[in-house]
Amino acid sequence: MQDRQITVIQAAAILVSSIIGVGVLALPLFAVKAAESGAPLVTFLGMLLAFVGLFLITVLGMRFPDKSVIEYSQDIIGKGLASFGSVLIIVFFAVLTSLTAREFGEVVVTSVLRSTPVEVTVIVMLLLAAISTRNEITTIAYIHTFYFPLLLVPVLLIVALSLKNAEAINLLPVWGNESKGMMKGTLTIAALFQGTFVLSAVIPSMNKPQNAMKASIGGMLIAGGLYVIIVAAAVSVFGAEEIKQLLWPTLELAKATSLPANILERLDAAFLAVWVTAVFTTLLSSYFLTIHSISKLFRLKDHKLFSYFILPFVFTMAMLPQNIVEMYEIIVNVGQIGLCITIVYPGLLLLISILRKKRGNSVEKKKVDQNR
Amino acid sequence: MPINKKKSKTKAIAVGPSSVLERHKGEQISTQMEQTISFIQNILGVNEDLTIRRFHVFGQHPAVIIYFSNMVNQSTINVDIVKPLMYVPNHLIGCSIEIGQLIDVLQNDTLYHGESELESELTTLIESILRGETVVVVDGLDKAFLLGTRNIDKRAIDQPATEQVIRGPREGFIEPLGTNISLIRYRLQSPDLRVETMGIGRRTKSKVAICYMDGITNPKLVKEVNRRLSKIDIDGVLDSGYLEQFIEDNHYSPFPQVQYTERPDKVVANLLEGRVSILVDGSPLALVVPTVFSQFYQTVEDYTERYLLMSSIRLARLIALMFSLIFPSIYVSIISFNPELIPTEFAVAVAGGRAGVPFPAIIEVLIIEISMEVLREATIRLPQQVGGALSIVGVLVIGQAAVSAGFASPITIVIIALTTIGSFATPAYNAALALRLLRFPLIILAGTFGLYGVMIGLILIANHLLSLKSFGVPYLSPLVPTEFQGVKDLIIRGPLWAMNKRPSFLQPMDASKMAANELDNSTDQASNALDPKNDINQQEG
Repeated sequence: MQDRQITVIQAAAILVSSIIGVGVLALPLFAVKAAESGAPLVTFLGMLLAFVGLFLITVLGMRFPDKSVIEYSQDIIGKGLASFGSVLIIVFFAVLTSLTAREFGEVVVTSVLRSTPVEVTVIVMLLLAAISTRNEITTIAYIHTFYFPLLLVPVLLIVALSLKNAEAINLLPVWGNESKGMMKGTLTIAALFQGTFVLSAVIPSMNKPQNAMKASIGGMLIAGGLYVIIVAAAVSVFGAEEIKQLLWPTLELAKATSLPANILERLDAAFLAVWVTAVFTTLLSSYFLTIHSISKLFRLKDHKLFSYFILPFVFTMAMLPQNIVEMYEIIVNVGQIGLCITIVYPGLLLLISILRKKRGNSVEKKKVDQNR
Repeated sequence: MPINKKKSKTKAIAVGPSSVLERHKGEQISTQMEQTISFIQNILGVNEDLTIRRFHVFGQHPAVIIYFSNMVNQSTINVDIVKPLMYVPNHLIGCSIEIGQLIDVLQNDTLYHGESELESELTTLIESILRGETVVVVDGLDKAFLLGTRNIDKRAIDQPATEQVIRGPREGFIEPLGTNISLIRYRLQSPDLRVETMGIGRRTKSKVAICYMDGITNPKLVKEVNRRLSKIDIDGVLDSGYLEQFIEDNHYSPFPQVQYTERPDKVVANLLEGRVSILVDGSPLALVVPTVFSQFYQTVEDYTERYLLMSSIRLARLIALMFSLIFPSIYVSIISFNPELIPTEFAVAVAGGRAGVPFPAIIEVLIIEISMEVLREATIRLPQQVGGALSIVGVLVIGQAAVSAGFASPITIVIIALTTIGSFATPAYNAALALRLLRFPLIILAGTFGLYGVMIGLILIANHLLSLKSFGVPYLSPLVPTEFQGVKDLIIRGPLWAMNKRPSFLQPMDASKMAANELDNSTDQASNALDPKNDINQQEG
């Protein structure tokens, strides 16, 4: 684990691809439910809130450049409390993994493979993630970097193609018609950014941890920008009222657009196919974070041991929700609980570490890997 | 001599083979010539082609010359060795030559032969004879002469059969190692070119050469190549492909992690980039390590023609490479799961073509794919005179007949034909083979899960590629990890003057390839020498 090879660009790519995933499909619905035509604004606020969490994690990571959150929390608040926090983190990300897999499984089963049982699509995605976590963290960083363009291109393409159906009037007023739901919507959308927590496992392997902040700002800007663009595009094409009727507005957006010259008549299946990579990278991140945290908690060197071990648990949890409606309720609730873990907990850690003047070893003094 | 050192090392491990030599290890030549003769006769005597010819050195000292008659140049032996040994040299006529001086006299005044050395170990004599050298033993001397007279028939240097170019050198490697090294050396007349040799193979003792550029190649890489090669302990190395399978990093991957080439110019270019090349005696294919994936779709020609043209051709090649991997599986998944993706008119045509076909698309595609593989294999095996005929019969007649028999739809035939042709556009045969193989699991995934399955398969393949390493170099570099200098030679081929650095993933000792301001240098000096305004005749007219 001590080879530090991950560059700033790779770290930013990890962040972007961890954030962007299956959540994009339902994102406009969440945003519109909260603020109607103010949806892009809510998304932007959600991004800001999520950035607070990421900022805390990054600052903590830069204070303790050799350690992951599991390890430095023990330095800061002592073993007992820290272990409790770590278990919470592990359980939360295991649940997040299972919910992501289930959500995408439902999407696939509903829109493409109509006669396939949802168990099959879920287990396939989970297996794919489990197999891929059996690599070194450097390889996982390569994987994220490699798929990075595959996240941007289809979204930007669909947004660009949908422009011809867009009505700017649908986006007005910018602050929405009712501001009551704003707060709750911001929380819901901030919860979609929780994949960023993986940065806490990445920083110990970065070749220049002092530049981690650049990576988090860059990653957040790209991912958040993409989110805002998608929401804006969906709202401007469909209008707030219609989106409330749609389950996955982004997918409907892909359905409503077609390539010029009629090369492909409909884009939704193709979009969904490409989107497998985006979901895969998100799953990979949360799955990796889970097993990485477990191995750190037990002070093991190797995270590969748990790759298959937690698979049955994650799969069972993924199968618990009875249907899509229940699943989305759970997703919203779990996401908001998760904000305590990804924002409040790091905030407390940072505060205490500043008060107790705890600091990790600075990495500059040590010999950084010569390769990069 | 590194060869001998290596030999003793392998023999220490190898107990079974060469046990005859093992038993006599370390025995010295006695001054009794007859003993030496009978020793050699014991071991090699049953062979018809072993020649043992007795004569007298200077008419007085009994001597014997031993060699395998089919492996040596007979006239060299007659004129350069036997004749001068029989006659006393002109300037020594009349002097009496003592037995103690004889070695010096023979070595310094008599033998006309360049490659000659003295040897006193019996087993080395045997090995030398086996290698095609000639042994001269003189009665009363405790050393024998080893003379390099090896002369094996070889074919002429020819066009490389598998890597032909329109613009570029026409020479390819042939089997003998010496010729191949000379082909490299005359292109790379640099004192920095290092050629190390070792013998590999318990029984074949094949000579293996490791070439690298001192001062460019990372010494750690050379050391690692040496280490991996010296650990090989097999019976015989009949081709460089044997070595490849022992030194590659991941033995279970379908993707080749070592590049082979039969072009000396390609080897030189790779040496100059900081790679190590491995050549084996008896194989016309040199290995180049470490290898990254992008090398498999690059050709020599990319660099000899102008960059704009070759960049577009490289793009076409990349498309063909992608085609050969995913085209059939995309077809299967669209036909069986998502026909709504394709335009309606075309969907109707496809459905019409498939109307009489009884099988689902996946079975149809698999049948045609497998018969295509069979045809392709048959075309390689058949004698050349018949091969051409068969491929025409195969493609035209069988394809046409399959369609009219209702066995396959015409569009399937088109898809498979495009795929097959696409796989021929990949310059590296071994990489094309890997993609060809991976096509089948993808088709099956497409038949079960549609586009979703194809993506799952592609993600698995991509993740595997990303985790592969060749001598520590990530397989997909310079794409991932991204190296901006290297990207210039990845999808397009950047202008030569822009690619002024050696690939940094090879960690070369000398990073820069050319003068820093090469472009300025070459354009600054351009002056319009024949500008019409300077033409005196025209101005007069």
